[in-house]
Amino acid sequence: MSNQSVVVIGGGPAGLRAATTVAELGERVTLIEQRSFLGGTPIAENYASLTPHLHSAEESIGAIVTRLQGLPGVEILTETEVQSLQGEAGDFTVSVSGPGGNRDIAAGAIVVATGFQHFDPGRETQMYGYYEYPDVVALQDLEAMIKDGNIVRPSNGETPKRICFIQCVGSRDRQIGNEYCSKVCCGVASKEAIEVREAIPDSEVFIFYIDMRMYGYWESQIYWPAQEKHHVQYVKGIVTEILRKEDKLLVRGEDTTMGRPMEVMMDMVVLSVGMEPSAGTRKIAGVLGINQNKYGFIDVANPPLDTVSTSRDGIFAAGAALGPADLEDCSSSGGMAAARAVALMRRAVAAG
Amino acid sequence: MPVAGRKQPPVAVEKEEAVVTSTISGREWELPGMWNRMFEPRVLRDYGSKGFAEVIKHPGAESLEWCYGCAKCVPVCPVDVVGEYGPRKIHRKVQTGMDLFSSPDLWLCTTCANCLRVCPKEVNMVNIMPAAREVAVGEGKVPNELQDVFEKTFRYGNALGENPRRRHAWTKDAGVPVRVLPSDPSPVDVLFYVEDYWSYHPRGKQAAQAFARIATAAGLDFAILGPEEKTLGDSQRLAGEKGLFESLMEDVAATLSKYDFTRIVTPDPHGFNALKKHYPRYGHTYEVEHYTQTLAPLVDKLSFPKAIDKKVTFHDPCYLGRHNGEYDAPRTLLAAIPGLDLVEMGRCKQNGYCCGGGGGGMWLDGFTANYTNERLSERRVREAAETGAEILAVCCPYEVSRFEDAAKSTGNEHLKVVDIVELLDYAMGGPSSIGAAVGS
Repeated sequence: MSNQSVVVIGGGPAGLRAATTVAELGERVTLIEQRSFLGGTPIAENYASLTPHLHSAEESIGAIVTRLQGLPGVEILTETEVQSLQGEAGDFTVSVSGPGGNRDIAAGAIVVATGFQHFDPGRETQMYGYYEYPDVVALQDLEAMIKDGNIVRPSNGETPKRICFIQCVGSRDRQIGNEYCSKVCCGVASKEAIEVREAIPDSEVFIFYIDMRMYGYWESQIYWPAQEKHHVQYVKGIVTEILRKEDKLLVRGEDTTMGRPMEVMMDMVVLSVGMEPSAGTRKIAGVLGINQNKYGFIDVANPPLDTVSTSRDGIFAAGAALGPADLEDCSSSGGMAAARAVALMRRAVAAG
Repeated sequence: MPVAGRKQPPVAVEKEEAVVTSTISGREWELPGMWNRMFEPRVLRDYGSKGFAEVIKHPGAESLEWCYGCAKCVPVCPVDVVGEYGPRKIHRKVQTGMDLFSSPDLWLCTTCANCLRVCPKEVNMVNIMPAAREVAVGEGKVPNELQDVFEKTFRYGNALGENPRRRHAWTKDAGVPVRVLPSDPSPVDVLFYVEDYWSYHPRGKQAAQAFARIATAAGLDFAILGPEEKTLGDSQRLAGEKGLFESLMEDVAATLSKYDFTRIVTPDPHGFNALKKHYPRYGHTYEVEHYTQTLAPLVDKLSFPKAIDKKVTFHDPCYLGRHNGEYDAPRTLLAAIPGLDLVEMGRCKQNGYCCGGGGGGMWLDGFTANYTNERLSERRVREAAETGAEILAVCCPYEVSRFEDAAKSTGNEHLKVVDIVELLDYAMGGPSSIGAAVGS
């Protein structure tokens, strides 16, 4: 073991997997997290359960945190941010600032796992009224309600009986600039729809969509059960207008199957917001001097078969910092980035 | 406006006619209402899961809700081609408040199973339709012409309302002896289950006679039930009269239990389907063959002194092909006939186009005409004519009358509709009832 460590930046699912893997490979690892707690967005945004298996987010992520804390050679720095980077692959110096002041860390390699943030539907405020109408919420708002076991209309505290999800809010949109599909929202919306139907058995739950993108096993793990077992109503055609109608919301769109205009009253509307690079991801790219793609995510240097190398040798990226990713993607790329980082560091040590 | 939880769904008022009084003459004019509805797309408002809940609680109808709207069913649905109806549209209409049990859509499906063949979600109209129709039948919401057939079937044991004692009248002119089991109940190999249209329809009787001659020539030991035969009732079942089907089945099973036979051979793919798939569910299991399956292995034993130098196309019956997987036996028989040139239609075998007769459609032509721009049989006949064929060969008793009518109404009288059994009989030198069609 050298006196260097692998520095992992970001303590969400990808960073936790990366740090755990480095430690399991027998090298030292320093995990840097700007928040005061580990777990990343799923914990910070109060996810109730993880897609697609509906296991508790706190328990699932808590298990990997506990595993990491129990491994030798692990240092975890919370409320800490990276200030600057010197050196080169195999011999980096990472300057960080945290509760104990500033310090330098000798790093053989770096893994960036700074993640994503939810698209702010206020940017489409005319369309959906996210900030105007209390009963228009986003996926993570409903997640928090599900976690609390208290799904209510924010406007009046009543139990909603008609709830709809609107897909592709902030994704697949040239005007917004997010031309990509955010990959997880179809599955997450269907998962939340199942949870709403279970919590409020007499509710009617609708999902308005352009096309349901339930890739791989999610099709039969979430989509089909939501429709066939939980009676979630899927309607092809996106809502483009929400109007206040007395104390309800009138959603208007087109039923593209029937080729007719559609107007439906809802108690609550859930916007299936997509993924954007987090503020941390945007910032760290500048600090470390690595390229971003046109959407602000970290650029992959050698696609498609090398999924974790960045434009700077010795720096790898993982998880949703690379672009829209589900938890399985995050865990896979976290492990991959860790393996590549350890391999690079060992080569550097061997070369002296 | 509807208000969730305590809403009054808006009811679209659609007047079929309006009476307008002239301000000049005082005269009243009747105006049909449909023209002005065409200008305004009606807004869909009443979405919900309650419509599905009403339908899927009936066993067999569960899969209606599974549709995810891919639309694969639409291009292959024979009814969609000629009208507004479509399998996936039923899903959306029920989702938007349509009462399926009162809707004309309930009666347009012919249960041809072509949508099920392509459906990734296995939405099974072949099960959904009879289950939903059973509810409508129970509520007395049945088109009159279908109700009439139910009553005839109930009273006479056949869909045509014919005298049961005349079931075997066709045997007189068969030219070969045909054993009738009630008169001679000794054991027999083949129980020839003639079914309704070969027993009573003029062209069907000729086909039955042709079969008797071929079976005799092939050395088959066969007999019929004669006056004791009742329809197997599969189309009545699919049209929603499960009770009638079950009562027929008990009668049929009781009759069959009296006699000693090896296998049942029937010309009717619908009856074949009932015996093969549905009778066993009630504990009545028989060895059953469609007549083409019985004759196909025997063609080498038969001699065909006469050629049929004609271009022939073949229509796959839905209930022989798609429902029961038999595509080869009819073609083996056609290939055995000297001179015959078989040309396939674009839609054939697994993708065969329905004649419109299945699932009760045989008895709903008047009703269906109100919702389609042409009959399925007419559509099919035009496809057959486009191949350049002179003969449209069939092997389902429903089809001869359906396609003959359609050939006339579409101006394709030159296309002769002939059962395969009649073609075989002619080629074997039988007394020709179809000489005009096949003679050179």
